[in-house]
Parts: sequence; structure tokens; C-alpha cells
Amino acid sequence: MNPASNEKIDQIFDAIYKEAEKRRNEFREDPGPKIHIGLATCGIASGALETKKAFEEALDEYNIEARIHTVGCLGHCYAEPVVVIDHPDSGFPPIFYHEVNAGKAKMLAKLFLKEGDPRFEHVYGAMEENDLIPSVMEFARFNREKRVVMEKCGHIDPEDIYDYIAQGGYSSLVKTLKLNSDEIIKEVQNSGLRGRGGAGFPTGRKWELAKSAGEQEKIVICNADEGDPGAYMDRTILESNPHQVIEGMAICAYAVGAKKAIIYVRAEYPLAVDIVTKAIRQAIELGLLGKSVLGSSFDLEIDVFRGSGAFVCGEETALIRSIEGYRGMPRHRPPYPVQKGLWNKPTVINNVKTLASVPPILDHGADWYREIGTENTPGTAIFSVVGNVVHAGLVEIPMGVSLRTLIFDICGGIPNNKKFKAVQIGGPSGGCLNEEFLDTPIDFDSLTEAGAMMGSGGMVVMDEDTCMVEVSRYFLDFTQNESCGKCTFCRIGTYHLLKILERLTRGEGEDGDIELLETLSKDIKAGSLCGLGKTAPNPVLTSIKYFRDEYEAHIYEKRCPALMCRPMIAFYFDLDLCARGCDACATCCPVEAVFTTSNRKKGVDQELCVKCGECIVVCPPEYDAVRKVSPPHLVPYIEKPPEKKKED
Amino acid sequence: MNQELTPEEKEALKHVASKLEFYEEQRRNLIPILQMVQETLAYLPPEAIKLVAEHLAIFECEVYGVATFYNQFRFHPPGKHPIKACLGTACHVRGGDIILENFERKLGIHAGETTPDREFSIEKVACVGCCALAPVAIIDETVHGHMAPSKVEGLLMRIEIEKEMEERAKKKDESGQ
Amino acid sequence: MPKFLVDNKEIKAKQGTTLLKVCLDNQIYIPNLCYLEGIDPPSVSCRMCFVEIEGERQPVTSCTVFVKDDMVVKTDTPAVRQLQRTALRLLLSVHHVDCKNCQANKKCELQRMAKFLKVGLKPKGLGIYLREVEIDRSHPFLDYYPNRCVLCGKCVHVCREKNGQSALTFSKRGFDTVISFYGVRDLPTPECENCNVCIDICPVGALALKETQKEAVPNLQGEEDPNIA
Repeated sequence: MNPASNEKIDQIFDAIYKEAEKRRNEFREDPGPKIHIGLATCGIASGALETKKAFEEALDEYNIEARIHTVGCLGHCYAEPVVVIDHPDSGFPPIFYHEVNAGKAKMLAKLFLKEGDPRFEHVYGAMEENDLIPSVMEFARFNREKRVVMEKCGHIDPEDIYDYIAQGGYSSLVKTLKLNSDEIIKEVQNSGLRGRGGAGFPTGRKWELAKSAGEQEKIVICNADEGDPGAYMDRTILESNPHQVIEGMAICAYAVGAKKAIIYVRAEYPLAVDIVTKAIRQAIELGLLGKSVLGSSFDLEIDVFRGSGAFVCGEETALIRSIEGYRGMPRHRPPYPVQKGLWNKPTVINNVKTLASVPPILDHGADWYREIGTENTPGTAIFSVVGNVVHAGLVEIPMGVSLRTLIFDICGGIPNNKKFKAVQIGGPSGGCLNEEFLDTPIDFDSLTEAGAMMGSGGMVVMDEDTCMVEVSRYFLDFTQNESCGKCTFCRIGTYHLLKILERLTRGEGEDGDIELLETLSKDIKAGSLCGLGKTAPNPVLTSIKYFRDEYEAHIYEKRCPALMCRPMIAFYFDLDLCARGCDACATCCPVEAVFTTSNRKKGVDQELCVKCGECIVVCPPEYDAVRKVSPPHLVPYIEKPPEKKKED
Repeated sequence: MNQELTPEEKEALKHVASKLEFYEEQRRNLIPILQMVQETLAYLPPEAIKLVAEHLAIFECEVYGVATFYNQFRFHPPGKHPIKACLGTACHVRGGDIILENFERKLGIHAGETTPDREFSIEKVACVGCCALAPVAIIDETVHGHMAPSKVEGLLMRIEIEKEMEERAKKKDESGQ
Repeated sequence: MPKFLVDNKEIKAKQGTTLLKVCLDNQIYIPNLCYLEGIDPPSVSCRMCFVEIEGERQPVTSCTVFVKDDMVVKTDTPAVRQLQRTALRLLLSVHHVDCKNCQANKKCELQRMAKFLKVGLKPKGLGIYLREVEIDRSHPFLDYYPNRCVLCGKCVHVCREKNGQSALTFSKRGFDTVISFYGVRDLPTPECENCNVCIDICPVGALALKETQKEAVPNLQGEEDPNIA
């Protein structure tokens, strides 16, 4: 790049940045209160739109001058809807409120915004250090995180490009345009960034391979086909800070010499699709995408492609086929997509998190990035920690943190005084690890060694009430359903695994089933064509390895130790605890299986019971009379009085 | 199975035909076109598949083969109120299958089916990405978090009541005029 | 011209030929179902043609390997046979074994492989899962037997080669995948009447000419695709 054009780039960007700064200052200097509401999918699902409406109505009703700022997701899903209120006149710092429903919103508008009382009983914490309110940074859920990819998520309005630019956005692209592509690739290589899609391939290396394909047309694809049924960080990033991903794509395209890029997003994420589409449009309007980016000689066109719902399309060759308009069936590699990809052109496919890591790396430098995480896996990992865990949500931590720290310190451990049993990492391709592995550091290599897998970052925490055979069955049901059907092992092999596991969870397991599961699993892993089949047996193999006794109990005792497999359990009421005349369980039972005994206590008609467990939920805690047993024949006999005609 | 299209559907099919003009005759447009068709018609009736095939100058079976590969595409009209029960991992661990069963029992249909009055249909979905709210069900476009079997009846009842109120309001309107 | 060893036999072959083809040409049988010269990229879907190559950690499919100088190949190792036998047993577990009523009897690839790999046609230990629809009669001239089909895809390929586009397609996904003739009755020219390429290429007799002309008369009922219903 010559200095003259560098000057031009700076000039153009400066003008954009000044506008962004002006807008930010206007917003900041506005003395009135500001209400930041998280409006990503998870927030909306928890009722954030109603919250927003309640605020708007209350502002009107109480005649309050305040601004509502819609932001993305902070990752604290357990606390949704999340609202941060910045009310400088009150003398309080910005305050984080959790679970703000419409009622709470109205109350806060009146009492805090109007009258200056922050209602301490509803305060989660302050967003900055101060003398009045404990800061959220005192909680492990906040202070143990290290945010690189998600740094701006939940703090900026994803639908306003200036919000991103005012916080330093697109400055890495400016930097990039002034360097040559080798320098960029070198920097990414030095950072040690590895692909966050699951396999952990060095990103810089991939870019270099694509670049070395020469002068021909190339394509960059951002893989946001997040299909793992328990991971949603890609969606959150796209919904909360789409521009960081777009900036990463632009840098990648510049480095490898591509003029065309595609974001492949699941059609099941309509909000993410809308936000990304809008973001691209804004970037084009400002000259950050399109012909001659920021006045340089670099052109880039980015399209959004909506994936139609096929887990296998997360596999790169299948993804390519589906963009081309065919059935998304993987093909043999090599040739790899960087050699021969979309429409036979060299194609770089990177995950959302990988691309979103690039702007911070170029901004702070490779050395800064290397300082985070471990030697072999620098940087951060994002997990969606869900299941039986207190502070569920998205967590971004430096690589190398132990599972124990993540689950117990950061995420608050297991709720309801239950015991930890297992953690499933990497979704349907990953494995279940037991307590022994809690001190395993989180990085690509250690997890793979333990038999799990980083995968896309889905993490499901399971307590003692979770049956490992049932969990394996669940995952196999998923992969079997999502198998593309092309190759024999995956198509038929996973079907057999599923059928065997279904038998086990129905109490129809036979001697030899465990061994059959093991041999089939090994052959499916070795024989399958693509990653889906090669990893599909992992949940089965790891759960047999670490929880073999549970499989044996299912087969030889027809018993489900976790009392989860419904055909193998039965419910009854402990008559010593059951309260005379209480009807809680009978009212809620969806199939009218609860009957009243002659002394007005309750019994369960085993023929009718569907074992949904609703009676456990509603049985008043002071009685706590519902019991489960396995195998079902252990249930005590409770006589059902003859049906009386109801006269009243 | 080849039901006659309803008059509204025939109208929508005309829309599809006119929208097709905006798509170049390129194979890469097949999936975007199918998505457009489904957004317009709510499913892919054989008439629409034929239109798409003609537009792209490929055989119908090519279109059909691609469409049947992806979860997104339906070949039967969905109910007026589609219900999606999430069976993602987090929902499963927290009893998502029990929620699904309750919907199935209450409506007397299985996942993938539509009630005879075309009011409701039930679908299983892999993960809607609201794992922290598990178990989750989506009715129409609204996500309902922390579902419980006892909530199922209430939600369905709400829709029935809303429908009744609408009808009453309509009647009132009519009699008023 | 690369020179290399297969099962200790020295072989020479042209650069750019696949190992599978070279072996078959040299009378070294490697079980295979979906391989067809000219399919590019190769289908690699049947997962039968495994061999071991020195230097590779595990067996690889020979249809995707190009011959190289000095490569050392073994077609008959325990690891190779293990995978081939499992793959065959899996295929047979969804196959309606009824050889005496099948047109492919005695020339069926499954029979050949079973004999070669010493696997019984009715595999022990695995459940048998057949499809409900035994015959798809929706095509005016052909019948399709889903419980015979191994989904090798050769029929789709040859039809496309011959007619520019294929009148057959894979439909559905995963375990439910079948070959479908969706919309075939609406084709502008029913070329199928005088063309047998798909039937001839099928290794297992899953496609057959309709037996009587009577059946070939299109009726409204047959127009439905049984796969949708």
C-alpha cells in the first residue's frame, strides 16, 4: 500500500469516527437517565419486549425524560430480562437489575427514575466500582471471565454501526488495509488463534493456504450454522455485535485476497439474520464494505445465506453443497475447501467466534492474545453452560481454566442441593465426563484427551437425577436424525446404536448389548465419511467408560439408578407424609392418575400414570410426599376405592 | 394427499410466481427460492415445486430431493397456531419430551401433524437457543420459557379464549353495523 | 508411471488412477458398491473399499487414493476386514433377503461380498429394520424396492450422464433416505420407456421394469409419491 492511499483511508475513516464520537457524546452528555435493555433472542424469550413496553408506558405516565437504549445480550441468561439503568442525577452508578418483568419495570421507573430510590432489594450489582453498591465485578460470574470476543456484547446497540465504531470498531480493518496481506496472516499466525468451530485448526495457516492458491477468485465463508442442540453463542454474538464478525470477515477476505464473502446463518435464527443483514447494509452505506473499501483498492461483497436446518451443514463440504443449491451431503476431503471449495474456488470457512477474535488480535497485537489462555491454545473459549447449573448462560473464559472453576465458581454450581454427576461437552459429538475430570483444564487438547471435545462450546451440566444411558440415547437420537444418509456407517450404524439404547431405556436390554454398542461405535468412528459419523458415537463410548454401572443396572436389574427412564420407574405417595385432604397433585395431574384413598390420602393409578413428574413439582414442600422407585414393581400397593358416583 | 389448494393458497401461488422473477435462473438460488415459497405459502405444495422447477429449468425431482433434505421445509400445511417443542439438550435434561407429550395428548395429534380443524400443529425442533429458559415451547412466534406440563393446558386455553373473543367481537361488529 | 506393492504384488499404473481401479483391473478384488469410474468427486458412500496403506494410521477408502510410487498396500488385514464386515452387516440389516425372488440373484453385489467376506446374509446380533413401503410403484415404467436398495447412487449418476439431468433423486435424509421419482410423470418426454441404464447399473436389483404393461398405465392413485404420504 502506498502512503497516499493510506492517507485517504485515514481521512475517510476519521470522518466516520468523528460522527460516531459525536453521536456517543450526545448520548453521554444527555443528563437524563438511560435504560439499557437486552433484546437478544434469550432476552425476548424471557419477556424483554414487554419490559421495554412497560418502561415506555411508565415514562409516559410519570412524565420522565429518559432514553431507552436497546442492546444485545450480556450472556447472563439466568438473569434475563436484564436491564441496566444509568441515572446520573440519582448519585448512583449504573445499576444492573435482573429478571425485570413488566411490573418491576414500572416500579423502577416510578421509584428509581422519578423518586431516586434504586430499590436495593432488586439490585443485582453496580456496573462500576463505587462506594454505594457492590459492583458486579465482585461476583465470580463477572470477574473470572475474560471477554475478547464478547467484550462489547450487551453494551452496544447491534443495530447501530456508530455504536460499534465509537467503541473502537473497524479500527482493525483500517489498520489491515494499510498493511499487506502477508503481514496480516503473519500476525494471525503469531497470535496462535485456532478455529473455534470445534476442530481447532490454526486459523493463520488456513488463511495462508487460501492465499497461496494464487490470483484466482476466492471466497470467505463465516460458518454460523450453529446446530449443536445446546450451544447458542454464535447466535448471541451475531445478535449482539454483528459488526465485529463482519470486520473479522473483511480482514480475512483482505488477507486471503477474496472479494466475496458469505455468512451462513441458520434460518432458525430469524433475529440474527435480520440484524446481520441490517449491519451489512449499514457497513456498505459507510463505505466499510462494497466497492473500494474506505477508498482503498479492496472490494468486498458480503451476502447472507440462510441455512435450512441440517446439522450436517456445519461440516464445511456439506455447507458448500447447500449454498450451491444441493442436498447438504459431505464429500471426501482432500481436496479441502481452501483448495477447492464453493463453486470450485478456494474457500476459507471460519466460525463466528474465530472471525470475531480477529479484530481484537489486530487491535492489541498477537503478543497480547498469546498472553491469554494456554501455550497450545491461546485466547478465550466461549461456553454456553446450561442444564442443572445455577448461573446458566454464556461464559467467556481464558483457555486453561478448569472445569471445576467454570461450573462451580463462575456458574454457581448445581442448584437445589443436588450432587454433580457429569458434564457433557461438545454437544452430540462430544463426550460426558464425570467428577474425576473436573480439574481438567479447558483447551482443545486436554478435552480431546479426556474423550470429550471442545466442539462448538455447548456444555450441559447434569446432576445426580440425570440418567447417562438416557442422555446417550438423546444424543444418538439427535445425530441419527441429522445423519445425511450418505454413508453406510452413519446412516445405518447410528440407527442401530439408537435402537439398542432405546431398548435399554425401556428396560429391554440384553446381555451383550454393552459390548455390541462398543464394537459398533468403534467401527462407526473408523468407517464414517465425515465428522458427524466419526464423532456420533462419542457420547455412547464416554458414558460407557465412565458410567458403566448405570448401563449394567439398566440391563441386568432393569433399574434406572437416576430414576429418569420413565418405563423403568413408578410414582407413589408416601402415606405417612401425604396430607389428608390436600388435592394439589390430583388437580395438576394431566391424566387423572391420582386417586383419593379411603382415608382421603392419595394414590397413583399405575395404569394411567404417564410419569411426567408434575405431582413432585406441586406437592407442597412441607409434605414432600411423592416418591419414585425403580424398577416399577417396587411400588407399594395402595388400594383404590371403588369408583363412586359423584353426587355433589 | 394432493389436496386442492384453498383459494387463498391459489392467490399466494400467484404471488410466488411473480416473486420468482426476481431470482436469476441459477442453481444457487434454489434454497433461497424454496424459503421464499414457504414464507409465502407456509409449506411447499406440489404446484409450487413444479413452478420452482420450471423457473430453474431443472426436474421436479431435483427440487423435491433438495427440499426433503432440510428440516425447514414442510410438505403439508401447518396449523394456524404452530407449536414447536424444543428438544435441545438443555430442554431435554429438564423434561422437554414431557412437555411435547402433553401437547400431543391435549391436542390428540403427534409431532409433525396438524389438528383436523387446522388450528394447531406440533413440531419438534432441535434447539431454539434459549437453553437457559429450558424447557421451552414456541407457540405462534412467542417463546414460552420454563414450561411445565400444567402450563400446557393454560396456553392452549388462552388461544381458544382469544379466538372466542375475536369471534364475539366480530359478531358484535356485524350486528352493530 | 508409479510402481507400487499391493498385497506384495508389484503393480504399475498410470499417474492419476485410483487405487481401487488399479486393483480391480489387476484382479485384486476389493469389495465396493458405489464406485463408478468418472464420478467426480467419488461418492465414497458405501464405505466398503477400505485398504491399509503403510504410513496411514487407519484403513482408507481405496477409491479416493491415487496411486503413488512405492506405496505399500494391503487389502486383507484384520482392520480392513473388520470394517468391511461391519459395513456389509449393516447393509444387510436393512435388506430384505429374499434372493430367490429377486432379479439380481446370483449377480448381486451383496451376495458376492457376503461370500468373499464370509458374512451370513442374515447377520446375527443386529436387529433387522425394513421399510414399510415395500415397492414404490409411482414410476410409469419402473418399480423401486427400497428394502433392496443400498443407496449407492449409481442410478442417479448414470441417468444424469445419459439424459443431462437425472429423473431419479435421493429424497429425504439419513436413515429415511430413498430414491424417488418425484414428478417423473410430468416430464416433457418420458425417455424412461426405452432406457434401462438405471436398472442395468443397480448392483442389487432395487430397480426393475414393471412386470406387466397394465401396471404401466398411469393411474391417478399412483401419482402420489408414497414417500410423502
